[in-house]
Formats: sequence, structure tokens, C-alpha cells
Amino acid sequence: MGMFDPLKGFGVTFSTMFKKVVTEQYPEDYYPTAPRYHGRHQLNRHPDGLEKCVGCELCAWACPADAIFVEGGDNTEEARYSPGERYGLDYQINYLRCIGCGLCIEACPTRSLTMVNFYELADDDRQKLIYTKEDLMAPLLPGMEQPPHPMRLGESEQDYYVHGPELARGRGVPSGETVETSVEEAIQ
Amino acid sequence: MTEVQDSVFDADIHAKAKEIISRYPQSRSALLPMLHLVQSVQGHVSQEGIAFCGKHLDLTDAEVSAVATFYTMYKRKPCGEHLLSVCTNTLCAAMGGDAIYRKLQEHLGAEGKPLGHEATAGTPGEPGSITLEHAECLAACDLAPVLQVNYEFYDNQTEQSAVELVDALQRGEKPAPTRGAPLTDLKSAELQLAGFFPEDAERFAADVDGPSAATETLRGAALAQERGWVAPPMREENA
Amino acid sequence: MTMAPEETETEVPEGHVKLIVDGEEVIAPKGELLIRTAERLGTVIPRFCDHPLLDPAGACRQCLVEVEMGGRPMPKPQASCTMTVADGMVVKTQRTSPVADKAQQGVMELLLINHPLDCPVCDKGGECPLQNQAMAHGRASSRFVDTKRTFPKPLPISSQVLLDRERCVLCQRCTRFSAQIAGDPFIELLERGVHQQVGTAETAAVFSGTPAPEPSDMASKTSSGAPFQSYFSGNTIQICPVGALTSAAYRFRSRPFDLVSSPSVCEHCSSGCAERTDFRRGKVMRRLAGDDPDVNEEWICDKGRFAFRYAAASDRIRKPLVRDAKTGELVETSWTEALRVAADALSKARDARGAAVLTGGRLTVEDAYAYSKFARIALRTNDIDFRARAHSAEELDFLAGVVGTTPDHVSFAAIERAPTVLCVAIEPEDEAPIVFLRLRKAALKHSTKVVHVGQWTTSSVRKTNGELLACEPGGEAAALDGIAQHAKDLDAGLAEAGAVILLGERAAEVVGLFSAVQRLAERTGAKVAWIPRRAGERGALEAGAAPTLLPGGAAVSDADARAALESAWRLDAGVLPSSPGRDTTGILWAAATGDLDALVVGGIDPDDLPDPALARKALAAAGFVLSMEMRPSAVTEHADVVLPIATVDEKSGRFLNWEGRPRPFTVTLEGTNALPDCRVLDTLAVEMDADLFTQTPQASFADFERAVSAGRSVVRETNGSGTAEHSRPHAGESNGNGKLKLATWRQLIDEGSLQAGEPHLAGTARTAVVRLSAATARDHGIEPGEHATVSTERGELTLPAEIADLPDGVVWVPARSPVSIRTALGVGHGGAVSLSGGTA
Repeated sequence: MGMFDPLKGFGVTFSTMFKKVVTEQYPEDYYPTAPRYHGRHQLNRHPDGLEKCVGCELCAWACPADAIFVEGGDNTEEARYSPGERYGLDYQINYLRCIGCGLCIEACPTRSLTMVNFYELADDDRQKLIYTKEDLMAPLLPGMEQPPHPMRLGESEQDYYVHGPELARGRGVPSGETVETSVEEAIQ
Repeated sequence: MTEVQDSVFDADIHAKAKEIISRYPQSRSALLPMLHLVQSVQGHVSQEGIAFCGKHLDLTDAEVSAVATFYTMYKRKPCGEHLLSVCTNTLCAAMGGDAIYRKLQEHLGAEGKPLGHEATAGTPGEPGSITLEHAECLAACDLAPVLQVNYEFYDNQTEQSAVELVDALQRGEKPAPTRGAPLTDLKSAELQLAGFFPEDAERFAADVDGPSAATETLRGAALAQERGWVAPPMREENA
Repeated sequence: MTMAPEETETEVPEGHVKLIVDGEEVIAPKGELLIRTAERLGTVIPRFCDHPLLDPAGACRQCLVEVEMGGRPMPKPQASCTMTVADGMVVKTQRTSPVADKAQQGVMELLLINHPLDCPVCDKGGECPLQNQAMAHGRASSRFVDTKRTFPKPLPISSQVLLDRERCVLCQRCTRFSAQIAGDPFIELLERGVHQQVGTAETAAVFSGTPAPEPSDMASKTSSGAPFQSYFSGNTIQICPVGALTSAAYRFRSRPFDLVSSPSVCEHCSSGCAERTDFRRGKVMRRLAGDDPDVNEEWICDKGRFAFRYAAASDRIRKPLVRDAKTGELVETSWTEALRVAADALSKARDARGAAVLTGGRLTVEDAYAYSKFARIALRTNDIDFRARAHSAEELDFLAGVVGTTPDHVSFAAIERAPTVLCVAIEPEDEAPIVFLRLRKAALKHSTKVVHVGQWTTSSVRKTNGELLACEPGGEAAALDGIAQHAKDLDAGLAEAGAVILLGERAAEVVGLFSAVQRLAERTGAKVAWIPRRAGERGALEAGAAPTLLPGGAAVSDADARAALESAWRLDAGVLPSSPGRDTTGILWAAATGDLDALVVGGIDPDDLPDPALARKALAAAGFVLSMEMRPSAVTEHADVVLPIATVDEKSGRFLNWEGRPRPFTVTLEGTNALPDCRVLDTLAVEMDADLFTQTPQASFADFERAVSAGRSVVRETNGSGTAEHSRPHAGESNGNGKLKLATWRQLIDEGSLQAGEPHLAGTARTAVVRLSAATARDHGIEPGEHATVSTERGELTLPAEIADLPDGVVWVPARSPVSIRTALGVGHGGAVSLSGGTA
């Protein structure tokens, strides 16, 4: 063992002292995640505010961690929450179980369920980590209306699925502006 | 069976229905002529007509509808005084049937729009109204192109003759068919299809004795006779 | 059946043929379809239209195989579901023939061309034959790139069945079922070619001359123009091999893979159909027909299929209720408290003027036995009756002979084989729908002659190709006696081996009918089957829940039988009460007049009873009423203590169907904490210092079997004692001022309490009408289509009038749709009523 050997051991330490710091000062500093980061879920809306969820439960079935509970309900003429026959009456995601794999997103046939980048999913109460439909629904964008209300964009759900964006533009949303809730708007 | 007299079908039609039914050992066999009978009253098969058949034959509306929607000869929309069928199958089409049909569509169409299949020019049921349809083979290829009015033949037509025929029909005339019975209107023809023939002996004779075989149809036979052609003898089976 | 190839010299039995399937030599009975022969060999040929209980159709072409006959191959693959076996036939299925395999794949591809890819949201997804076969044999991706044909959906073809034409593969199973099995052709194939579709007369959107009908109007119509009401429409949903027919009640509620299935038995009628109950998260989602060739084959009626929502009703009683002395309200309390109150009151009543038990018709054998034992040991009385309907002492005498009969006597199969079936005082389609299906099958397939003793040509008569032996209501006994003189061919038919007489619950309302039936049976040798309407009646009879019969059917008055039972029950000799008890009306009469202090009431609706007014009076007058109920009812209104009990889904047990066949079932919904009647009664009896040994259904049944075998060891006395006669007015005879006679029975789907909470099912109920002959209508100035009012001193009932071939001077009204005619008019079948033209 040479006399400088003990100092050699500090070589890495010393050199690191002069490098750029990689530690993030969370929560003082907040850095955005990668755009595809699997964060919190969001239940999206059609351009007129109706919900996209049809209560099909495929997300619940796709979930490998059994974190999702869905119960569908029937739309009526008096109380319509989504175009078509059914809507998600009850929607819960248990973030104590969710592993963020995104299989639910792939399963969703209406693109109702997407993930936003929000990752602050910690709490001191287990109960609070079961997010309900109110927590998960996308915010109302301008031009949207809180359901229940009748279909504003067309006669049937076909119109929503096939021509949704065009119909929304017909209602005055300028092109280039987004007509559907998606990732960007929901970030705090 | 309870006797239901409704506004559409009078007692005479109910009696006729019973007569049709009596022709068959099983009542449901009478459905096809019964539907013709319904068309002879209304010019088409309506929901009332379906219920009428169902009631008489003890079938459900669904069963009657199944038959009525299968056959093209049962019309679901009110038809004109005349039903004009233009053959557009292969030979007639090649011989000008397609052109005749297109011409008649334009001629009968209103506001620059050609008349569609099974659409009616004029008010359905009114004198001079005509329902146009393109028909599958009318079994008169030797006389192509042919068209039918109320299932009576007009052979060897041209665009011009067809237009003249239509104009005559619209004026209320009844040009004589090339062969067969004299022209009446769709409802009368439907009554005959239901199996009820004119009681007037003279008219009945005119219907039955109309010319049937055309020269063109017999041309092959005539040629064969002239040249002494005969069919090869039948091969003896089990010989 | 399969023969080893080297054994070439196999004997072919008579009526069999030898053929080769996939290289294996097979002996098959003549007339067997190739698809079944292959199935026996373990080769499942894919199919959609083929159904073992329907006639072959060859509609879907999925089951193509290669066939060689007499050394010559047939030019094209053949449908194995329509081709029968023949001697020397060589068949190659998809296992060995690339041609057959390719043909099947081609058909599959064609079927999928217009089939929507909505499996994720389709009710059938997960249990869909088309999905399964497409996964197993189909292509990974579609070659079809054009736009698929679409139709508006769903179309309601009845209030219960929804049609999705896009998904339909035109296999015609539904239309064939409707026409062949149910006799209700409410759907048909419409249109032709590419437009061909299943539908009703109204869904043929092709009637474009008329505006599109409202969805509610699309339900099919009968020839009389009335909306179609088939009692069996639910079966079409189950046999649909794709998701084209779905149920309004189950649509989008669940998926096959998240349901837990449990075999169960229908609790509605006395046929005891095998069912499959599918539940999810502790809630029953749907019921399907189970496969039991001896009983219901693969069919069930809509009531059995859809009427289960009552169990999940929000007003279910889950905790014991005791009436608060101060407020007069029922208050939730603990089991200990409720049982103590009930036990105290019942003990006091027993030691005073007595307590009686009315069980109702919904009980399992185990529960009925517990009631029976409870009455005899804890209440020390024979005042117990299971008949919550019109009844007579004559009936009880007849029923003593029914106890202990098994399917060896008369069974479903016997009905199917019978040369002649005589239906007396029963409307099979309404009162025993599965019996009706067997009758229809017998009539169609085996040319069974079906004769109905009734009032008019009902749909049961028409659909069983039946003959009507018309008589006045109440005149059935005379009609039977007249058969010897006036219907010699029927008399001869009944004398043939295997002839059957079916007797319904209405028989109790006709004086002398039971003896007339027995006379006829003795004279002709025909076998008599008693077909009660409710599931629990036969079991309750067997369990001795009757005033004159002990468990096993021995007479109460038989000292030897009592002694045997006492030893089986380990009681002191002479403890069991020896005098026959009172029947339902007797009990109610006694309670109303203060002869009884307490009533223990099971599932009873006063409106079903012969005299609802008397029942209400009795319930109000009785010092103490213990109600064992699932939901608030007219009984709980008067009850002092209400004990909640389990529904069939929440308990195990067995029903005894009309054949005498045990229909056991296990618990479907575990962990609900609901207690079966037998358990509740056992605990209550312990509080009253008596041991029933019926803690569980298993224990109860074991004890029941001990009691029955004890009874069997003694020679049974002929039972002639009858019920103790009590002076009381007979409900059917009191109002004598009417000129017309009333015929009535309950329709299958009506206001019964077990059908609550299912609006879609209620929508398929037959319309309530007054039926009368044309002459009667004329005499009373009633035009068809107008309303008619049937009245007695008690009240009146106004319904639309319909002309039917009833005898003059007879009117027919359904017994409980929309209201109980017993409540409204105070009379039953055979009663006297007046008639007038009414206003709507």
C-alpha cells in the first residue's frame, strides 16, 4: 500500500464535489416528469362535458393488482352523464394497490381513462388513497358543462365517437385548441 | 274466429280471404295469395294488411312479415296505379334495358332527380301514377329488352317506345300489351294474382285468349322444322 | 361404442349402422346426426345453429365435414348437423380432413364479415361460442376491409328481450325455439339476402312508408294485434350463440368471467327446474336454465329466469323486529330479545286457547318439516296448514294418497310418453310452464292426445294441439263423470297404458272433483298427478305441515303412527296431539273469533287466501302474530314479532317437485348471516323448552327422514277423518245473487310477491282482461274492446272485455292481475258474479 492510496480512495468524492448536483430539491423544487410518465389516472370528458366512461369495467379486468372498482349505471333521458346507454356510476382506484402499469389505459375502449403525470400519491390515511370518481374526473374546460345534461354534439353516441372534434369545432372551439381533456390541462 | 270489420278491409275482402283459405288443406298455405289480396286493396302490404292475414290464418304478425319481406312482389310502400318493371338482367341490359331504365328514371323523376327503385311518380294510388322498379329476369330474353306494366309484357322496347308508353299511362290511357291480357291497373292485377278473375265472361275471355307465343319464341322450333333438325335419341338407361 | 380398428368383424346391433369417422369404426343408432356421433368419439365439430332439443336446420353451415358414401366422396362438404348416419359412410371431420377444416374456416370468416368487433362491451363476451370458435379456429386478423353493415340497436322485441341485429349470425335458434318449443313465434327471419335479419313485424324498418315506430312499440304483436307475451322468451337469450339477444335485466350488468355460478333450483312453481344462479359481489345477477333432462330439459320459464330481484330488494328485513308497546311501531331488536318475546307469547298462547301455524307455499322440505314439528312439539297442536290458497277437506283426504309418491308414479317423462293426458282444473302454461312444454313436446313429437277440462280454448289448449272439454266453472266433476257416456274415445284413451290425469290447485275449489278424478282413474286405470302451483306445497305435504297428516303422511288420528313418531322424536308417549287440526280457513276463523291466541305465519299474502277479509281480520284480532318474512307484507303489518329469514339463494335445502322428486340445492350466497326458517324455529323452540333438532337444513332433513321411516314401519290407517269441521261461511258460496259463474286462475306473471322489483318481467305479463262469450257480451251490452265490470256484493272489477269461446253465462278473470279477485270480489273459481258494461 502506497502513502497516497488513502487519498486515492477519496478521488471519487473529491471529483464529485466539482460536478453538477443531481439531487432534486423536492418538494421545494418541482421538476416535470417525462411526458409519458405513469402518474395519476384521469377520467376524460367529451367536448361538451359528458363523460367518456361507459362503465364497461374493462380497466378493472385488465388491472393486475385489482386496484380498480367500477359499477356502471343507466343513462336516462332525465339524467345523462355520457352519450349512449351506460355510464360509470361508481369509479374507484385504490392507489395503495395501483402499480402504475397502465394496462387499464390500454384496455379502455373509449379513451376515457388516461394517466396524467401527477405523482404525489402519498398520504397518512389509507382511506384517502382510494380515489373516487369525483377525484378522478377531468376538470371542466371552457365550453364544457357539468353532467347530467343532454347530448349537445349530436343525436347519438356515434356522432361523439366518430365526429367528436369536428362537432366541437362547429360549436366554436378554434382549431389548434384542444377540445378534449388530456394530459396537459390536468397538471396542476 | 271473431269477425273484425275494419275500415281498410270490407266484408267482401274478408269473404274473399275465406275463399282463398278454403282452397288449401292447410290454412297457412293461403298466405301468398292473401298478401296479393291485401295488395289489391291497398296497393301495398301495410301493417294492417299483415294483421289481416295473421288474423285469418292464425299466424303471428312476425310470421306474416317474414314472408311479406322476403318476396319482392310484395311492396312495402304505397304504389302507383301502375307498376312498371324494367328488366335489367344480363340480356335485356345488354340489349338496352339499362338505357331504358335510366331514361325512364330521368323521365319520371322530378326536380332534376331521377326516380329511384320502387319509387312512385305522382301521388300513389291516383290515376296516372307510376311506380318504377328494375326487375330481375322476366323470362322473355328472346324479346329483349322487355318491360312489364302490372306484369303484362311490352316486348322489344326502345327508349323512345318506353317513354311513349309511360306518357300514355300518365294520360290515363291503357295501351295494349304486346301479348296476354289487356292492361288494367295494379290493384286489379293483384286481385287476379290472388286468384279472383273477372266475372264478366267477355273480359275473362279477353284475358285468357290474349296472344301468348311470340314469333321470336317459336323461331328456333320453326328453324329446326325447316331444316329437319331433331334432338339426338335418348340414351337407353340400364341397357 | 368405439371399436378398435383390427376388430373388423363387429356385430352391428339391430337398428344400428356401422360407419367410419376420422378413421375410427363406429356403431351408431339409425337416425343419429353425424355431429352427435362425432361428439361421442370426442370430436367436437364447431356449430352454432345445432341444438340437441331443436329440429335440425343447417342454417349456419359451420359444421361442414367431408362425407364419402359407398366409396364415392360427396362433391362438397356436408353439414354434419343435418346429415344422419348411414351404413358404410366414411366421415372426415376437421381433425383429419384439410377440406373440412378449410371449409369451416371459410364459413367462420363469412360469419365474421358483418359481425361487429364489440366483444369488450357485449354481454356474451367470455361465454360466446362465436368468440370461442373464432379464437380457436379463426384467423388472427380479418381480410375484410370494407365497412360493416350496421343496424340501430338495441331493438326491444319484448320488454325483456333486446335484439342486436349486427351480431346475429342467422342461426335461427331463437326463431326455431319460439316456434317449436314455446309455440310463440314472436320473432322471425325477415328480408332476404344480405338484408336478412331476425325481427318482429315491427322491427322490419323496411316499412318505410310508415314512420319508424317508437322503441316501445317494436315488441311483436300477435294476430290479434296485442303485444307478444311469451312466457319462455328468456330461453332465446340463453341459446343465442352470439350476443344478438340480450336481456334487459342483465344487459351490461356483469361479465361471465366475474360471475360465480352456482347450481340452484327454481323456487317459483312446483316443477323444480334446475337453474344456474350467477352472482357477483354478493348479489344475484342472473339466472339461467340448468340442464336436467328428467325435469326441465334445458328450458325454464321467464318467471324462474327473471324473478329473483325480490331477494335483493332494499326493503328486505335483515334484523328481528318487535312491535313497541307504546308507539305501535315495529322496532329493530336483537335476536335474543325477539326470540324471548316470541317464545313467551307463544308459550302463553299455547297454554291458553292455543296457537296455530300457517306456513305458506315457498318452503323447502326442511323448513316445512321444522314448522310441522314446531307446531306439534312446541305449540302442541295440529293446527297447521301449508295451503295459502283455496282448499277443502276433500283435498286433504286426496293429498293423503299423494304423500310418498315418487317419479315412478307420474313423471315428466311419463307425460311425454303418455298416449293421452287429461288436464283437469289446471292451465299448464300459467300454472306449471315446464309441464306445459312437456305436454307440447308430447303432442308434437309423440302425438299425445291432450284434453283440457276447462272453460275456453286457452293458449295451452291451442299450443298442445289439445281438445277442450268445456264445462262451467264448478262443473268439472260432472264433466269428468260424463266422460264415460259422452266422450267414449277419451275414455278409451285414458284406459290405455300410460295415460295420465293432471290435477291442478283449482281442483280444491270444485266440490266433488277429487272424488270424480279418483273414480275416473280407478275406472280407466289412468294415473293421477297432483300439480300444485307453488314450489313448497308438495314438500310441505310430505313434511306433515297439514292439519290431518303427520310427517310421512300418516293420519294424525292414527295412534300407532303417533307412537312411532313419538319414539322417533324421543318424546314421552302420548304427547303428540291426537285430534285433527284446523285447516287454513278454520285457523283464520278461529283467530278472528278469539278461539286462538296466536298465529305463526310464514310467507303468506292474505290476498291469495280464499277469504282475504277474514285473513286480515284474523291477523288483526289474534293476540299475538309471529311473522317469518323476507320483506314487509300485509302480515308484518299486523305482526307483533317479525323474524327475518333467508331466501333460497342464502340457504340450502330441497324442494320436492310435483313428481315427488327431491330437488336439493346448496347455498348460493355465503356469509349473508340470513337464517333459514328451520334454524329460526329450532332456536325459538329451544326458548319454549322443546328440541326440534333442525338447527341446519341438513339436520332437519336427517330428522325428517327418521320421522318418515318411523311412520313407514306402522301400517297406515285409511285416512278418512278429514279436518275438524267448523261452522264457517265458505268463501265461494256466500254471494249467491250473481247470475254468471266466474272462472279464474292465476296467470304466470302477476302480482305475486316473489316477482317484485322486476319491471322488465312484469312487461311480459299477459294483459288482464275479462273473457266472455259473444252471446254473454251481447246480453249485457258489452262490445268487444270495451270494458266490462264484474261485480259481487263485496266489490267490483273493471277490465277490458275480450270475446272467447266460453260457455254462455261464464266470465273469466285472472285471479291476481292486476288485483286479487278474492279481495276485490270475495269469490273464487265457480263463484257467482254479476256483469255489466263498464267504463275504463
